[in-house]
Amino acid sequence: MTQLSRIRTYLGALGSILLGRNPAGRNLTVFPGDTFIVSYFRSGSTWSRFLFGNLIHEDEAVTFTNMERLVPIIYNQPDRVLRGLPRLLKSHECFDPRYPRVIYIVRDPRDVAVSFYFYNLKVGVIPSGYSMDQFVQRFISAAVVGYADRVGCWEDHVLSWTRLRQGKPGFEFVRYEDLLANPEKELTRLAAAVGIDPTPERIARAVHLSSVSRMQSLEKKQSKDWVVTKGTRQDIPFVREAKAGGWRGKLSPQAVAAIENAWGTTMKEVGYELVTDRELAKS
Amino acid sequence: MTSVKENVQRALGALAATGRVLTGRQIAGRGATVFQDDVFLVSYPRSGNTWARFLLGNLLYQNSPVTFSNIDSRIPEIYFNPDRSMRALPRPRMLKSHESFQPQYPRVIYIVRDPRDVAISFYHHNLKARNIPDDYPMEAFVPRFIAAEFDKKFGSWRDNVLSWITLRGDSPNFLMLRYEDLKRDPLPMLRKTVACLERNSFGNIDASDEALKRTIELSAPERMRALEKQEAASWVLTKKTRADKPFVRSAIAGGWKTQLAPESVAAIESAWGDLMVHLGYELASASADPKLTVKQEVLP
Repeated sequence: MTQLSRIRTYLGALGSILLGRNPAGRNLTVFPGDTFIVSYFRSGSTWSRFLFGNLIHEDEAVTFTNMERLVPIIYNQPDRVLRGLPRLLKSHECFDPRYPRVIYIVRDPRDVAVSFYFYNLKVGVIPSGYSMDQFVQRFISAAVVGYADRVGCWEDHVLSWTRLRQGKPGFEFVRYEDLLANPEKELTRLAAAVGIDPTPERIARAVHLSSVSRMQSLEKKQSKDWVVTKGTRQDIPFVREAKAGGWRGKLSPQAVAAIENAWGTTMKEVGYELVTDRELAKS
Repeated sequence: MTSVKENVQRALGALAATGRVLTGRQIAGRGATVFQDDVFLVSYPRSGNTWARFLLGNLLYQNSPVTFSNIDSRIPEIYFNPDRSMRALPRPRMLKSHESFQPQYPRVIYIVRDPRDVAISFYHHNLKARNIPDDYPMEAFVPRFIAAEFDKKFGSWRDNVLSWITLRGDSPNFLMLRYEDLKRDPLPMLRKTVACLERNSFGNIDASDEALKRTIELSAPERMRALEKQEAASWVLTKKTRADKPFVRSAIAGGWKTQLAPESVAAIESAWGDLMVHLGYELASASADPKLTVKQEVLP
């Protein structure tokens, strides 16, 4: 870091504190009635903010510009502001013992790797043409970018929540893939966790207002205003394919093997079939 | 609506925080910079962490015994020291923390203590810190201890212990020590610790019997109590607390047998019994029917 940028960072931090604009993040005040949507990065948590936001707020459809007010993420606004907002909060934290109610979303790490690669291209953490294989190595060892590395690798993240909270009251677990395959069913199951009576109409409305096509067209209109996408490469979308299994065409066999080798046991525990197992069975 | 008083307090808080940033005195806490060769000394509160800091400090700095006034420059506690001053320490560093599982801690020595003894020690600690009044009944404290109402951010004893052993229990960069073993038979425990430290970052440490015995003497409760008498008013952990209550208390294992009511013992054992059994703590209440809080397969 140059002297100048260090001074700029320092003054920026100082100003944020002085004006009470420091984002809450890990220092968030947690209240007994809070509910958190927690996941590793790129695991469908923005989509779930749409789904749950549209389920809860019947008179206002979620968009990228009102999302920070309707289903806020803990990293973009100060504690002071978050205290006055609806307390269904999105978080990427690894196990935090204070969270009283958690909806935990898990996604196939092979798809997470691909999605995270394109996200980091978009925000400029990695340059154009960066090798996917090389990225996957960094992804596995949680050496991608500071704010993400802090919450641990995919496996640490998943296990920290499931091993401490699975089967406990207040903890709901959902796979991104199941949410994608049957959003009505999963949302109906999870509605109680956010205190909503899941009538079929309400569920249908929420799913409809959170479709990929709607999110993609909203992103086109709003990406320059949304805090997460403004200032990032506009040629790479934030809402990407929203598919399960897209890794098959994007990851090299070596990258797949590396991920499965690192986290295979946990992947199987969560219900993701391993390629390496299938090949062993064939041979 | 927020009152004027709250707004004033908030503004003063912001000013104080700004002042700390300006002068580089912002407390590190969870924002502490982590280096790859760091070793973290982690435990739930009141589990012998300060004693362990004395032991390890005396082991690492054999020429200059640990006191309450130099401990924070040797094995600093992340909650009382600015990141800046901790970054300036010689590497590899050893840092004290009470966090539950932190994925970025590269090497961890974890001290675990029988939660029935932790409950008693924590009770007295909360008296000292004026969190509960003098006549507060232990029987009322224990359920609140189980629910992690004090120091919420560290989680309950179970959350804290289980998070570490289930995520890092079989890692070569993780060493768990039981307070009770350290108390009963410190030499082999210290040798194990030295081996772990030498494997992780630290160079050669003199672990001869004489060196270890001296370390143990310099970290004895009697010496710590005498030092506390002299230094409590200036040590960051004790300076604003009740001076009539000691920080270094009985320093024994099994005090709960005479100091906890049977219903308190039963409450702790029924909440965390299976984890306690896993750690080798024998359950006392015949009626204890430990709820299955831990699946066997998640334990190392």
